[in-house]
Amino acid sequence: MQSDVTVQPEVAGRGGVRVLRPEFPREAVAMARRFGGTYIAGASWLQPVWERRQSRPSYLVALDPGWPGFRGIEQDEGGLTIGALTTLDELASHPLVHEHLPGLGTLLDQVAGPGVRRLGTVGGNLCAGGDLSALFLALDARLHLVGHHDPKGESLVVWDAADAGFDLIQSVTLPDASPWRIAVDKLGHRERFSPTRATVASVHDGDRLRLAVSGEGGPGRLSISEAALNDGHSLSGADRIHILDTELEFRGWRDPTLRLAIQRMVDYLLAEVGHVL
Amino acid sequence: MNDLYRASEPVTFELNGETVTRSVPAATPLLDLLREDGQCTSVRPGCRIGRCGACNVLMDGQAMPACLIMAWQLPGRRIETVEGLGGDPDFLRVRQALVEESALQCGYCTPGFALSLVSGLRERRQGNPVDLGEAIAGNLCRCTGYGGLKRAVEKHLSPCSSTSSDGGTVSKKQISGEPE
Amino acid sequence: MSSDTPGRIVTLDADAPDGGCPSPELYRRIEGRLGYPTDLFDTPGLLQGAILRSEHAHARLLRVDTSRARTMPGVRAVVTADDVPGLNRFGIVVRDQPVFCEDRVRYEGDAIAAVAADTLAQARAALAAIEVDYEPLSLVTDATTAEQQVPLHEGGNLLTQETFHRGDPEQAFAACAVVVEHDYRTPRQMHAFMETEGGIAIPDDAVGVHFRVGCQSGHRDAEQLADILALAPGQVTVEAMATGGAFGGKDELTVQPAAGILALKTGCPVMIHLDRFESCRAGMKRHPVTVRMTTGCDADGRLLAHRVEAVLDTGAYASLGPAVLENFLDHATAPLYRIGAYSVSGRLVYTNNGVCGAFRGFGGNQATFAVESQLDALARELNLCPRELRRINLRSVDEPGSRHQPVRWTAPPVEVLRQAQASPLWSPEKGSRGRWLTGTGMAMGAQGNGLGDGLPDAGGGRISLSREGRVRVEFGFSDYGQSIGEAITHSVCEVLGCQGSDVEVMLGHSRGPDSGPTSASRSSVLVHGVLNRMLPQWMEAVRRQAAELTGYPGDDLAHGPGGVFHQGRQVLSYRELAEHGRREAMVADASQDFPVAPDQDHPVGRYLQLQIATVARVRVDRLTGRVRVTDLHHITAAGRVIYPPGYLGQIEGAAVMGLGMTLTEDMPAEDGRLRRDNLDQYLIPTFHDAPAQRVDVLDGTPENDPFPVRGVGELGIEAVAPAITAAIEAATGVRIRTLPVEPGVLLTAIHAREVVS
Ligand SMILES: Cc1cc2nc3c(=O)[nH]c(=O)nc-3n(C[C@H](O)[C@H](O)[C@H](O)COP(=O)(O)OP(=O)(O)OC[C@H]3O[C@@H](n4cnc5c(N)ncnc54)[C@H](O)[C@@H]3O)c2cc1C
Ligand code: FES
Ligand code: FES
Repeated sequence: MQSDVTVQPEVAGRGGVRVLRPEFPREAVAMARRFGGTYIAGASWLQPVWERRQSRPSYLVALDPGWPGFRGIEQDEGGLTIGALTTLDELASHPLVHEHLPGLGTLLDQVAGPGVRRLGTVGGNLCAGGDLSALFLALDARLHLVGHHDPKGESLVVWDAADAGFDLIQSVTLPDASPWRIAVDKLGHRERFSPTRATVASVHDGDRLRLAVSGEGGPGRLSISEAALNDGHSLSGADRIHILDTELEFRGWRDPTLRLAIQRMVDYLLAEVGHVL
Repeated sequence: MNDLYRASEPVTFELNGETVTRSVPAATPLLDLLREDGQCTSVRPGCRIGRCGACNVLMDGQAMPACLIMAWQLPGRRIETVEGLGGDPDFLRVRQALVEESALQCGYCTPGFALSLVSGLRERRQGNPVDLGEAIAGNLCRCTGYGGLKRAVEKHLSPCSSTSSDGGTVSKKQISGEPE
Repeated sequence: MSSDTPGRIVTLDADAPDGGCPSPELYRRIEGRLGYPTDLFDTPGLLQGAILRSEHAHARLLRVDTSRARTMPGVRAVVTADDVPGLNRFGIVVRDQPVFCEDRVRYEGDAIAAVAADTLAQARAALAAIEVDYEPLSLVTDATTAEQQVPLHEGGNLLTQETFHRGDPEQAFAACAVVVEHDYRTPRQMHAFMETEGGIAIPDDAVGVHFRVGCQSGHRDAEQLADILALAPGQVTVEAMATGGAFGGKDELTVQPAAGILALKTGCPVMIHLDRFESCRAGMKRHPVTVRMTTGCDADGRLLAHRVEAVLDTGAYASLGPAVLENFLDHATAPLYRIGAYSVSGRLVYTNNGVCGAFRGFGGNQATFAVESQLDALARELNLCPRELRRINLRSVDEPGSRHQPVRWTAPPVEVLRQAQASPLWSPEKGSRGRWLTGTGMAMGAQGNGLGDGLPDAGGGRISLSREGRVRVEFGFSDYGQSIGEAITHSVCEVLGCQGSDVEVMLGHSRGPDSGPTSASRSSVLVHGVLNRMLPQWMEAVRRQAAELTGYPGDDLAHGPGGVFHQGRQVLSYRELAEHGRREAMVADASQDFPVAPDQDHPVGRYLQLQIATVARVRVDRLTGRVRVTDLHHITAAGRVIYPPGYLGQIEGAAVMGLGMTLTEDMPAEDGRLRRDNLDQYLIPTFHDAPAQRVDVLDGTPENDPFPVRGVGELGIEAVAPAITAAIEAATGVRIRTLPVEPGVLLTAIHAREVVS
């Protein structure tokens, strides 16, 4: 996607940064397009990137949590709908989350630190391919994008943050997962407050199994391994290992020992969700 | 003259109980805004990327790293630093626990830890069962090895510890008055 | 001590034993009222300075053009090598590091120019406007082959080499029943003090400069700075302010030269505070060591022969490298154990990989990691319990040290071992299976106090009565939270019978007494010795004044809380004494040489020795190879405990720093580029990575020992790494010899073992 005007996209000092404050979501999209602006939610992912590069976008488009549907968590027959600007902290402490996704709190304890979780948002995390991505991908989350009309939303598995242009996420819907078995595990460099090496999620809906990862190799559903596991009564252990390893490598997980770790995490999580190998 | 970044837009917010207005570029980190005039130097840069907690402030009562908060986000917000918490019961309780257990050495990180703990105690008052160990998971300390902090949290700040909630433990080491 | 009396064992907790008040200093720190050198924004007329760092790890500097930068808004001065008034070099041991590079850069953090401007943003913008042309030169990146590469300094890339000999190792190896040989590597650890390097330089009236900075040796820095600034020594004052951590990383000059030159140039105070990115790139690190150790013993496990060949990478400049090498080698001789013959040699080489210098442990802990691992390897070969192998070989207190020097222990080494053996951590952890493999291991370490090897090593202090009537005690040591002030107050109170509030401790002023550097765990020993000398003198002088004022005979007067007493009644408060007495008559000072072995013309090694045994319990994640250290139990024998919370904090803090070095911390260099630039990449332990710790102090120092107090600032890091890797081996069967432990390597080994079984 292209912006309608050309502006100097980056500036070195903070002094040159302009913050645009649209009044409603569609205006945000229009402004972002017009100025080549960057959406800013909690800014907790973006700012470290800027500091490291000593370069910032010339235009920020501030997203407003007061916009209807952008913040908070609601339940309906379609499942749980989470506003994109809901902070990670709000997500962790929400009663609906405790009820539907009891394991999420433990995962979130390992995402950043408490201060950052009060700033960082669900939408920002998914755009940045953060820890939530693995779980939400495995849960078949759907995104509601401003200006897109499909009421069911766009599948997160299909949506590609790197190629999202000026897509603005309003909210994300998780299907009703209460009867499902869910297991997630994060491998960091240390016990807390660590960048992710690999976050692995496995979900079993009673019928089918789903697997997703995020971290050093980027977020993604492991659909080939998943398919093999789902109808693989005849699958040998060696085949299963080979398929998963190949799929991970293909997806960009270059470090073979990290792939081995993921492999073993997957086996462990499969047992947790009751998938018999 | 000591402002770190050139002035531009005025922002108005509450700092330690007072309404303040500062004119700074919109993307100025709150961290610089608080330090530049020497007012709140307890808010300290350890990394500038959210990774150490030394720059923590309370924003609307909750601990957050000031290096990740930009000036344009401040209007209408309430910011507190340890400079303004002298009479706050949660802060006094935290202070006493840290002193009792010698939970600090160089002290550079300490205001940041104190604010994370105060934030946790406040949340607890609102009925959230906050684990104070988790509350300081985003603070780094290089001197102590966290031994004193562990003892402070476990012995003095756990929900069932014997400390009163309004003034800290009474102990042989309690000192009276404010040492200057 | 002369006989192997076991000594007394006490488990430390943070409660002060006498119920004394915590220092008001703690409150100031918690409330943010203690100004650190980088907090001094309220200095009138303060300018902000910034330093231009090299973009290349090794290059010829062809052109540095500052003309555009000088015209930028807010800029007050731009300085380069041409503007250094005096000597454009610094370095504690060898002055080989330029303040600003003239014609060549040798690492990515090398300074080329500096700017002072009204704001930091302006200073940064001006840096970006300085034009520099480089001609890249070939890089020296591998320490082991550095000597064959292009020389970085005159005289080549071998800075020093040293060998310690004892007996005939070749012959001794021939007699061994078992010989083990392994290679070990330790990381380029970063100090990661929370307050990065910084401070201010203030031009003062006497056309001199006053520095208020974070540093470790005000006097030594003042000397170097006077040479750089071409000022007389009396024109430079260094105030070593309470700083946010140092650990050796502020021992060398950091921002002072650039700040001082800018201050002289502009006539205004200048602050320079490196941000974390710059600190990671330009700051000191711990020397990475590559070492091959060969160790042999007889069939009963008696150590016979030991050979060490090490290479230490000092980076682009020497700093304290030569002293680090000496201490490394000293520890590589295995000071705790009797070994008939050894040849211990090391080479210290220049490379383009950053700069390395002093860091808590000072080369010693790197050596101990390898030595203790070797002992475990021998025990395994012999099928002997590693503790038993140690017991057989530990020295007794009557024996000389490993370099045949006289030594003074504070408890018998076998007793330290016995206590470690009795640790509750050896009993298997309950209910821990599934994905976690658990194991317990231990290691021991010895550490000497003082600069060692007969280096000039003296320190002094002064005591006086302040105008307000407080007992003022001055030392030149810096305060970075190691509780030195508290320890001094404690000792003074004990002798004077006064309260903490009667005493005021002033530290780290280059105009005050010269105590020598705050390093090598030397300050506690010197404080104790110097106080012992000067307190009686001072008390005598005060009693004389009091006698004059009150008419009582001086001999009938005694010191007590708040002042001077006669027959149990206070007759004069210190305040009254200060008001009415002659204060200049109530001053005492003393200094002493650091204790070295008596009757030695050329002392070698270190006389005052400390010991630690660390027992570690770990859990290894079978799925990923990640290691969690759940417990550390230390037994220390380091003399008397003056201030328990301080002692405990030093051991716990150093141990967690050692844990970081063992598990996650490294600053790898690739093509001369340091690969981690901030705390999201360079990962130090968090609260949740810190294990439960217990510190048991074993002390058998006799009552009348002249050196009952030792410095414990470095002891806690000594044995942590080999204890953890021993515990990992107990858990997994895999011995790791390259630090930090790479989970992937561990996982691959665990996986391979599973496939086999
Ligand atoms: C110290 C620290 C530790 C961290 N640790 C972790 C961790 O352990 N795990 C982890 O996953 N992350 C971690 N992060 C990254 C980050 O905090 C989180 O991913 C957070 O959820 C990002 O949300 P944000 O609102 O701050 O994103 P922002 O920084 O505001 O935005 C991130 C990206 O998403 C885009 N964006 C944001 N919202 C929307 C929207 N509604 N529609 C379209 N685009 C949008 C932005 O344009 C930007 O490209 C850490 C960050 C820090 C500073
Ligand atoms: S400076 Fe803000 S978290 Fe480190
Ligand atoms: S006390 Fe020094 S960093 Fe925490």
